[in-house]
Amino acid sequence: MSLLAVVDAQTLVDAVGLGAVYALMAVGIGLVFGVLRLVNFAYGQLVMAGAYTLAFTSSWPLGARLLACFVVVLALTRALEWAVFRPLRTASPAVMLVTTFAVAFLLQSIARILDVRDGTIGEAAASIGGLRQVVSVGGVDVRRVTLVAIAVAAVALGLLALLLARTTLGLHMRAAAADFQTARLLGVRANVVITFAVFLSGVLAAIVAIILTIQAPLVTPGFALQETIVVLVGVVVGGIDRLWTATLGGFSIGFATGVINGALPTEHTVFLPSAVFALVVLVLILRPAGLFARPRAAVVERV
Amino acid sequence: MNPRALESLVQLLVPAGLVVAVGLAASFASRSNEIHFLNAIVAVAVVVAIYVFVGNSGVLSFGQISFVAVGAFAAGVLTVPTALKSSVLPNLFPVLRDHTIGNVASLLLAAAVGGLLALLVGLPLMRLSGLAAGIATFAVLEITHNLLREWTRIGPGATTLSLVPETTEPLQATVGTLVVLVVAFAYGRSRLGRMLRATREDPAAAQAAGIDVHRQRLWAFTLSGALAGFSGGLLVHMLGSITTEQVYLELTFVTLAMLVVGGLTSLWGAVVGALAVSAVDSFLGEAEQGVDVGFTLDVPTGTRLVVVAGLMALVLILRPSGLTGGREVRLPRRREAAA
Amino acid sequence: MSAPALLELDGVDVRYGRVAAVRRLTLSVSEGELVGLIGPNGAGKSTTLHAIVGLLPTSAGEIRLRGESLRGRSPESVARAGVALVPEGRRIFGGFSVEENLRLGLAAARRNGAATRLGEVYELFPTLAEFRARQAGALSGGQQQQLAIGRALMADPALLLLDEPSLGLAPALVDVVFETLAAIRERGVTVLLVEQRAQRTVSFADRTYVLANGELRLTLTQADAADTDTMISAYLA
Repeated sequence: MSLLAVVDAQTLVDAVGLGAVYALMAVGIGLVFGVLRLVNFAYGQLVMAGAYTLAFTSSWPLGARLLACFVVVLALTRALEWAVFRPLRTASPAVMLVTTFAVAFLLQSIARILDVRDGTIGEAAASIGGLRQVVSVGGVDVRRVTLVAIAVAAVALGLLALLLARTTLGLHMRAAAADFQTARLLGVRANVVITFAVFLSGVLAAIVAIILTIQAPLVTPGFALQETIVVLVGVVVGGIDRLWTATLGGFSIGFATGVINGALPTEHTVFLPSAVFALVVLVLILRPAGLFARPRAAVVERV
Repeated sequence: MNPRALESLVQLLVPAGLVVAVGLAASFASRSNEIHFLNAIVAVAVVVAIYVFVGNSGVLSFGQISFVAVGAFAAGVLTVPTALKSSVLPNLFPVLRDHTIGNVASLLLAAAVGGLLALLVGLPLMRLSGLAAGIATFAVLEITHNLLREWTRIGPGATTLSLVPETTEPLQATVGTLVVLVVAFAYGRSRLGRMLRATREDPAAAQAAGIDVHRQRLWAFTLSGALAGFSGGLLVHMLGSITTEQVYLELTFVTLAMLVVGGLTSLWGAVVGALAVSAVDSFLGEAEQGVDVGFTLDVPTGTRLVVVAGLMALVLILRPSGLTGGREVRLPRRREAAA
Repeated sequence: MSAPALLELDGVDVRYGRVAAVRRLTLSVSEGELVGLIGPNGAGKSTTLHAIVGLLPTSAGEIRLRGESLRGRSPESVARAGVALVPEGRRIFGGFSVEENLRLGLAAARRNGAATRLGEVYELFPTLAEFRARQAGALSGGQQQQLAIGRALMADPALLLLDEPSLGLAPALVDVVFETLAAIRERGVTVLLVEQRAQRTVSFADRTYVLANGELRLTLTQADAADTDTMISAYLA
């Protein structure tokens, strides 16, 4: 029985689009975990910062807006790296989790103060080109931005895969993620690898901010928080200790959310979170190391 | 009394005494200040409940607030006067709509509901550790929140549940929290508690020594759930109302951070963390409205959470073992005492 | 010792908390020498190597490479200065190919020339050349040991440190390891070899230090290899 019998093509395309965005976020989270063994709860705040920048610069020319978004997000990423990630490297996993959790709330609260100065919560981000428009592709109505999201995700992931597999820097990063100490013994520069991984995660956050503000123009302090939570869950369910399983996990939970949303009868769609998270619990009970992890693989967790 | 027994007594009495002191302050405080002290005391109850599981097992759970939530809503829904219930909460199941129970009964029910849910959830989940446990328990929080928010047959759904009798005066808050403290202390000192802590330090060794890790975690998780439910009952009777957002992400963050800031692995840490952070939080809450500290301190709205979160991040980065270093209260050692 | 000292340890202390794992250790390795470091379990041999490469902090004393201090430097900095460690248990990257593992060894290289270095290592270890595209985790223990040594040689180190390379290997493979070390010595690489096999090391190395309880007990030469009494007393003192 094909999936199309349960949900229509429209839902499938939207689900792939959602999965694509989540996959990008998953990579951002997975990269930092790989080199630092740190779960960055504050990742959504990077996206939020980018979104607010886009909102506050709505009247600027497009190129300037995009540049501003990248600059702000990358600056914030660097600040996080120095103030939070590096000092936490020797901390216990529980402390790391709660601290990045705290940083996430800290950034959200700061954003609230900055946002409320004009008296209202929320800023609107101007769209880009005609990306919010709906086009008809093969009989399916889909927003341009969804197609762009899928294309951008494919390109970004492809480039990243090439970087990791074919370049020396990529080799060093993979080695650091597998066994940091031995990598350092061989001369791999810890600082360079960490900074680059964090930088890449910032670039991805900025890209996600651009896509999300087109899809949902109202930026609030809680922007991307729900998505981050879901992606984090997806990453762990997929298997956080390897980048491709983490990415697949992020994509899968996005795709599953989209499909379930389409499959649920309208009056029950409010229970979507329960359905998705129940599925998550089920998967974790059956495969705690991750859905896509090798069954006998030793999980390189410090937790 | 031998030194060991005295030390144990001190480990219970000092935190308990602190709670009583805050309770006394609450009863002498003005009406507008009373809420701060009550908040602090109930916070102690919640954080200690969380500590019973997280502190003793070393397994990070983001789901304990689910049990506070179900406890709060159970106690709340069943203490709203029957006469009013059918008009404010028309969709309730008849068994919930047509009955009302007393104050103490509602607290016991809250504990029972919290414990039962924890047991059901814990049975499959206690096999997990680390990141998987964190995410799975977080999923439980999300499911609980979603169901409470959308299922109008068991509660008010997205609207506020109000008209709950405000029976958590200083006396109830203090006594209730003391009960939680004593139970947590007794568990910690018991054989069960010690076995669980052994699994925290070295799971492999503990298992080799014959300790059933899964079962010990389940005991603690269930007890933690019951105590959390009970605290939820105290909470709803303190506020006189409850919404799903009040027992969701922000409370999860604040209580977990209170525990870690105080010191994850000790009861004393739980109490200190809860009281210290509540104090800062309350003070800043006042400062947002303008407070007199010799000069008038007025900070923009939202500063409260910024400072609390910032302080927590700082403590965690600079002193990860928490304010108490994760240890219980110690008697000052006399020079001539043998080891 | 006519040759200049390449590596010098001068009164080195290494502590784990309050326990001193290595005390007042003074030794030196000259250019072109192959020096052994033996001793019972827990004597501090691995600790010494870890301290040299910067994995462990030294609480006292000095560590010098050609007169330049290594103390307090990060592991990657020490690697780039020309010190390569073949760690205990080999620690190869099982999920990567043999060639990728070798290329990783270039991270510490001070000059370019990947192709040349690869060629040289493949010449030294023909088995690795044969399996260059194979996943490193699929290799046998002996082959993985060759890979670990080859990887360390990729950066053309001035000083090669080996932590119990014969551990867990069958006797025939142990022979291969020592043959490889002989070939490496011939190429002029300076070696500090930590080993459990006392007699074999003493008869093979130019000099052998004996470590027990974190302290240097005595120095043995090849002539002492046959003298069982000296060996035993060194270990048990």
